[in-house]
Amino acid sequence: MLTIENIEVTYYHTVQALRGLSLEVPDGKIVTLLGTNGAGKTTTLKAASNLLALENGEVGEGRIFFKGQSVLSIQPDRLVQQGLFHVREGRRIFTEMTVEDNLIAASYALDRRKEKPDYDKVYAFFPRLKERRRQIAGYLSGGEQQMLAFGRAMIARPELILMDEPSLGLAPKIVEEIFGTIKRLNEEDGTAILLVEQNAGVAFGVADYGYIMESGQIVMEGDVAKLKNDKDIQSFYLGMSEDGSEGRQSFRDVKHYKRRKRWLS
Amino acid sequence: MGQFAQFAINGLMSGAIYALIAIGIVSVFKATKVVNFAHGYLIMFGAYFYFTFSVVVPGQEWAPAWLASWQPDWLLAAKEGLPMFSPMGAVLDWVANLPRILFGLVGALFANAVVGLIIERTLMRPLMGQSIFAMIMVTVGLISIMSGSAQLIWTADAANVPYIAPNMPIRFELFGTMIFIFGTDLVNMVIALLLFGGIVAFVRFTKGGIAIRATAEDSSTAYSMGISVPKVFSRAWVLASTTGAIAGAILATRNGISPSLGLFGFSVLAIVLMGGLDSYIGVFIAAMSVGVMEAMTQWQLGGDWAEIVPYVAVLVVLIWRPHGLMGQKEVERI
Repeated sequence: MLTIENIEVTYYHTVQALRGLSLEVPDGKIVTLLGTNGAGKTTTLKAASNLLALENGEVGEGRIFFKGQSVLSIQPDRLVQQGLFHVREGRRIFTEMTVEDNLIAASYALDRRKEKPDYDKVYAFFPRLKERRRQIAGYLSGGEQQMLAFGRAMIARPELILMDEPSLGLAPKIVEEIFGTIKRLNEEDGTAILLVEQNAGVAFGVADYGYIMESGQIVMEGDVAKLKNDKDIQSFYLGMSEDGSEGRQSFRDVKHYKRRKRWLS
Repeated sequence: MGQFAQFAINGLMSGAIYALIAIGIVSVFKATKVVNFAHGYLIMFGAYFYFTFSVVVPGQEWAPAWLASWQPDWLLAAKEGLPMFSPMGAVLDWVANLPRILFGLVGALFANAVVGLIIERTLMRPLMGQSIFAMIMVTVGLISIMSGSAQLIWTADAANVPYIAPNMPIRFELFGTMIFIFGTDLVNMVIALLLFGGIVAFVRFTKGGIAIRATAEDSSTAYSMGISVPKVFSRAWVLASTTGAIAGAILATRNGISPSLGLFGFSVLAIVLMGGLDSYIGVFIAAMSVGVMEAMTQWQLGGDWAEIVPYVAVLVVLIWRPHGLMGQKEVERI
């Protein structure tokens, strides 16, 4: 579905954000991309949906293919019409418009296709949105806004959703609901999902395959089952202590991480 | 009371034209977040195009005679024996001018749309994604380019153009005083109000309007949802330049035509700020009230004051409400 080959991205011709990153999202699978702040996760997604040009970013080397076509020559509006939907970081709903108008705006993704927007499906999925249909979207709660962001994605009937930190700023209970939705989207419609997360625990709960990135590169990849059992991932991403005990760790024991990180990059 | 009504009506009529000009500034701002300082000069171009297609072209030797003055037999027969300054005579004069008026308006609409598209394509689009400030500065630069090139193309001489509607006087009694208005002013007002209403309805109630509002709020997200943002941008500029062409033609019939027409854009910019840059309704209220205030100060204090008083009111409003009367404040989540 989506193949990213060895891309390098620079902002303003000077700041290098990605340094030869490659990853692949197969049809109908959920792939998660984990990493610390500033690792370049969001940049990767923006490169894939061709939004970098609007932010002075540029893909220098490397290629990105969506359904066998290079995305770099396709404008973002055409890309979503071909089935690649980007749910952006911080949800980015249109706060000054009503819930309904937000969904109608997403129906532009169906232009040049025969399909009609299915608003009822969204409202059946999220009954809460139906109640608040005529409300200004900016006054929804964070969880409801995330539902709306998903709702917009569903209207567009994508084959691949790029999802940027859906858990951002939400309570654990809501996060659980949201990830349930992600799983459902994937299972019911067969939508492939590239999920960027900081919360490795929940991401591993739904994903089939995972990539770990650090300072603009992939440093580790594998099936989720394998990643979950990796010692480093357990201690750096899942917050478990090295020997599995609950006790506190001294800083000296963690320090090797820094060394390791330097070695990796 | 009758006097009051007369000046109020005069005020509303000039207010409607302010509103028509303001549409262009608001549309471009809503879609692209750029305050177009050069809008007045876009209007001036519209006025000159109207002049070109309704006066210069019909005056050429190769132009057919009916274009300059249409005089079928029945028109000449009807004109026969009419007294001077009769309303009927004004209408008949207008009919004789009709071909060149229509030619002028259509020509101005097309030519100005092309100018708007060229500006958007060559100056604004390459700056997409850069800071808005850069684009605003480009519009400031455009002022010099446009006023300079207008003088090169059309020279700086003042000229007159035919009225858009029959210019017959209309008299009626209100509160015991005779009210007196010109037919052409009334038609101008109706045109301005219809255009304004149509555009507001389009932005509010249609899918195309949703695309504009979505682009206004977050253009890159709109882009990534299938809305063609470049198309929204160029449509906004076309809308601004075509409504500007009509406003220019109207202004040219009222005040004659000269390069100083462009200055009009600045007073309208103040009105737009007062109404709230992104609110059609607020801008409409502001345009109407400035129009009426101007007429009232002219009546009570004389023409010298009419230039200042309304704009002092604009300043007061801005201090009281920095976003303008009905400008969108950011929606803060509670």
